[in-house]
Amino acid sequence: MNNEFEPTILAFVCNWCTYTAADLAGTSRMVQQPNLRLVRMMCTGMVDPKYIVKSLLSGADGVLVSGCHPGDCHYINGNYKARRRVKLLNEILPQFGIEKERVKLTWVGASEGNEFAATVNNFINEIRELGPMEACSMAVV
Amino acid sequence: MATTVKIQVDGNNPVLALQGFLKGLLDDESIGGILVPVHLFEKGLPMPTLVTDSAKLSGADPLAPAFSMNSAKLLARLTRGQSGERIAAVLRPCEIRAFVELVKLNQGSLDDVVIVGVDCMGAYDNLSYKTFLGDADSFQATLDFHGLIGGEADTVRNGVDIASACQSCEHPAPQNADVVIGIAGAHLHESIPVMATSARGEALLSGLNLPDIESANGRDKTLESLIAARIVNRDAMLEKTKALTGTLTDLSEYLSACVNCYNCRVACPVCYCKECVFNTDVFEHKPWQYMEWAKRKGSLKMPTDTIFYHLTRMAHMSTACVGCGQCSNACPNGIPVMELFRTVAARTQESFDYEPGRSLDESPPLSVFKEDEFQETVSHMA
Amino acid sequence: MAKKIGVYVCHCGSNIAGKVDCEGVADFAKGLKDVAVSRDYQFMCSDPGQEMIIKDIREHGLNRVVVASCSPRLHEKTFQQACARAGLNPYLLQHSCIREHCSWITADPEEATAKAKHIVEAAVERVGRHQELFSREVEVLPDVMVVGAGIAGIQASLDIAKSGHTVHLVEKSPSIGGHMAQFDKTFPTLDCAACISTPKMVAVSQEPNINLMTWSEVEDVSGFVGNYTATVLHKPRYINADVCTGCGACLEKCPTKALSEFDEGLGMRKAIYRNSPQAVPNTPVIDGTICKKITKDKCGICQTICPTGAIDYEMKETREVFHVGSIVLATGYDTMDPTPMAEYGFGKYDEVYTALQFERLNNAVGPTEGRIVMKNGKSPESVAIIHCVGSRDVNYHEYCSRTCCMYALKYDHLIKDKVGHNTNVYNFYIDMRCFGKGYEEFFKRVQEEGVTFIRGRPAEIVQENGKLVVVGEDTLLGMNVRVPVDMVVLCTAMEAQKDMAEVARVFGVAQGQDGFFLEEHPKLGPVSTATDGVFLAGACQGPKDIPDAVAHASGGAAQALALAAKGTVSISPTTSWINPDICVGCKVCVGLCPYSAIEFDDRRQIAVINEAMCKGCGSCAGYCPSGAAQIKHFNENQIFDEIDGLLGLLPGLPEIIDETGAQSVQARNVITPGEPA
Repeated sequence: MNNEFEPTILAFVCNWCTYTAADLAGTSRMVQQPNLRLVRMMCTGMVDPKYIVKSLLSGADGVLVSGCHPGDCHYINGNYKARRRVKLLNEILPQFGIEKERVKLTWVGASEGNEFAATVNNFINEIRELGPMEACSMAVV
Repeated sequence: MATTVKIQVDGNNPVLALQGFLKGLLDDESIGGILVPVHLFEKGLPMPTLVTDSAKLSGADPLAPAFSMNSAKLLARLTRGQSGERIAAVLRPCEIRAFVELVKLNQGSLDDVVIVGVDCMGAYDNLSYKTFLGDADSFQATLDFHGLIGGEADTVRNGVDIASACQSCEHPAPQNADVVIGIAGAHLHESIPVMATSARGEALLSGLNLPDIESANGRDKTLESLIAARIVNRDAMLEKTKALTGTLTDLSEYLSACVNCYNCRVACPVCYCKECVFNTDVFEHKPWQYMEWAKRKGSLKMPTDTIFYHLTRMAHMSTACVGCGQCSNACPNGIPVMELFRTVAARTQESFDYEPGRSLDESPPLSVFKEDEFQETVSHMA
Repeated sequence: MAKKIGVYVCHCGSNIAGKVDCEGVADFAKGLKDVAVSRDYQFMCSDPGQEMIIKDIREHGLNRVVVASCSPRLHEKTFQQACARAGLNPYLLQHSCIREHCSWITADPEEATAKAKHIVEAAVERVGRHQELFSREVEVLPDVMVVGAGIAGIQASLDIAKSGHTVHLVEKSPSIGGHMAQFDKTFPTLDCAACISTPKMVAVSQEPNINLMTWSEVEDVSGFVGNYTATVLHKPRYINADVCTGCGACLEKCPTKALSEFDEGLGMRKAIYRNSPQAVPNTPVIDGTICKKITKDKCGICQTICPTGAIDYEMKETREVFHVGSIVLATGYDTMDPTPMAEYGFGKYDEVYTALQFERLNNAVGPTEGRIVMKNGKSPESVAIIHCVGSRDVNYHEYCSRTCCMYALKYDHLIKDKVGHNTNVYNFYIDMRCFGKGYEEFFKRVQEEGVTFIRGRPAEIVQENGKLVVVGEDTLLGMNVRVPVDMVVLCTAMEAQKDMAEVARVFGVAQGQDGFFLEEHPKLGPVSTATDGVFLAGACQGPKDIPDAVAHASGGAAQALALAAKGTVSISPTTSWINPDICVGCKVCVGLCPYSAIEFDDRRQIAVINEAMCKGCGSCAGYCPSGAAQIKHFNENQIFDEIDGLLGLLPGLPEIIDETGAQSVQARNVITPGEPA
């Protein structure tokens, strides 16, 4: 087995801003580490906290939720709802040793390909440093 | 100035006096029925009972240190939609607070209900209550439990103490009631003070023609020391639970006896879903999925989704948790569920500056949002 | 029915194949559950590529398709249509991106191939849960409702009417024209406002396709794009407009007076009044709150005078219902009341005016018949014009009102022109923002007319020796200034109408942080709103000058016409759905929905989605603890399986990883050393 820990990260991103930024980063050939995989959502407002919990319990070492900047949400205010939900998980999960750093919320606008690539790489580095998510025998899905 | 009256206690029997008070309420034309714990059998738990005939109040025991279930959900059933008649509900503070949460979620209504809150000295869990009773008469046991002055007697009987939820409950006094029966600090064998704490309560009390008193002497002081002691217990409990569940593995061990019966969510007054999502087809996994998950690690604990369930329930209801302890009471395998959820709730409620049951005007944290808030939740990683 | 999934991995020339082993990915996919066909091809989006899918669907009876190629934002529609051509419901496709999010950004080919496999596996897992969905075509009613008949509403109405569609134009005031009717001149050309707006107002009244309703308000709107039902409240005018000739005899004899709203409180009007002789319509209105006949059953003079018997004191409010396909909101703005800014002394000192009051002073039919004079009738020898009153001010409005610099320059010119060139005019400004066509040139011209510009927001205005003294700092010179003047004009902020929140609720649109209606997109959707079929025109969306308001209004009209011209609108099926058996009726989703698309069924005590209004944002599903609310095409099963696929927990992965040797990424997911088993 490999010695160095390579994290697995899922990102729930909104179709209109961050997913578009990811497209742009790709079109601009901004190299990113391969550890992060995208789940395309229509809006961060549809990211059920269960998705984040499930990801972490099923093998993800980190979860990114990323949507439109405040005021830019395609659906008016879905990002604000997402913020409260992530906030809630940020209060719950750390009590069980799931570090706050593993669940992050960011705003990356459609035109911010650079920011997207940097966010991806920095998040991966951060989680790599943090180490693997504590495995849990019962926590199957 | 709110009206404070007293219920005269004769024959050293405050329970009988309270029954009389409830009869008075039921005789009032505006009240069609009373929801109150009633001893339906000589032994066993008093159950929440909807009484419409005052003769049936002879089994009523609002002071019994038993807490078979949180009546908030029952009252929600009695008040959702058009009931046509006003009822009175005799509730513990945690039941009222849970009911307020349910009203916010359209599960019940305060329109046609008079809430009679009783100062809560705590209660035994359902198994311990039997031990507590022993061979004693249920009513006599209640009287013995309270002693001469409300809130001052030791609560250990026959080697059992009141539920840990009650030992660490900092809300012995009812909030958001219409009428409060202030047994804390009261000389229970003389009289029991009753306070009107709303216009509705005021109207009701004034119709009963009970003698006025200045105020409930000694109540504040008794409550104060009670709360202080309970906060010490609570904080110790929170610390202990935190230490026990600091990692995911620890949490798994803590919950290792969980058999996914979901009784905790059935018993929980603020878990209001008709059908828990963990009972829906979303969690009906396919046989081949189980096989693959098992192969992955060589073994798979069945049933699956245990930790997922508890974490999700924390996300769904911890902000509304009133700490009534019914989850622990309902667990068939003795998992200290209340301790775990209160520990989480302490943090989630504080972070949203939310206190369940405090006010109907406070919206559940996830039902609202603002534009400028929780900036610290947003990371900037570019 | 057994699932038969076809997987198609696109090379995109070398764009994907240059990094990703497309053949390997397709081989890997063959081993995934329910995959019947898995192929790789040079260009999936080409005709032969699409044909390949269509042929396979027909020959192999595929009932699910996965295409792994470029971003779905590019070609999802293409492949959906290919599926549809083969008779497969387009929503049984999952289009995944292995180009922008994989081959183009991953340095190492093995890692890129491994990532592509995860993405394909997730797509295969997800697509198994896809369900057939059907778009709905709904009819668009041909009529349009325009709300507000200021210059924006007028422009939108005329544009729409010209196309032959009927416009129901609703105006809450007794006559149309809005704020523009109050102005005298317009910047930077100094056109007379009446000269350019009156013809438009008259055109509205004469246009057969415009049903003009003044003194009316929209009380309730229900329905959805293409099919709105609007209830219009007609307030009682107490004058039968069909009979009234607008002769104005009644106006002279009425004994009851009130401050004129149209003259911004600088003059009086009667209880029976109209804003100006040029008002459209020119039928007066009786102010029922002060008319002696209506309030006390005394007087009645106007009725005795009226030559046509048009006066009807018994008139009651009426309601009328309209069915329209779309709605254009042109409800305009308010100017901020500067009274709370006590430091400027508005309401305390007689000679402190708001900009709109100053407009009225300039207007030939205003309280001074167009003369710029003080309350004592004398001309001012000096005037201070204070910019940004309530704008660009964190205590009031953070935004710039966009018009003040320019109308201040207009005032500068008008004062010099009307009062005389020796009049001293001082502008207290923060920055001069003269960005429009001909604006900078106008600024230059006014500067040359000898107007003084002092940069800095004044601290206060005080009265000393019969003069108003503007106290402030000239920030360019870095020194304090005290400028004594006869008159002060406050360039008050344009702000959202006072009843904006109520209007927003009625029409189901949102307000931005600034209070104005929120457009769909700040750049690319400035006239649409989040509610389909409700468009914005003019300053109700944000401060605008006349040219911008008119252009914006034409934009709104074009949007409404686009709907009306086609006659149908397609409604996406990816909306929310609330399972009635699971919904517990907590109503939280009703409050979270930004589109008022969730109704509450009181009888069943459950929430119900109005699919025509739902945009599928998932605010409800993201909350709903029981999972009763689910977004079609993004439901919990689909997302859960996608997560499982991405995390490589589903069958088929370990063997393939062993074959390719691409262990670096996946290895940990297979077995983690030290993991409790």
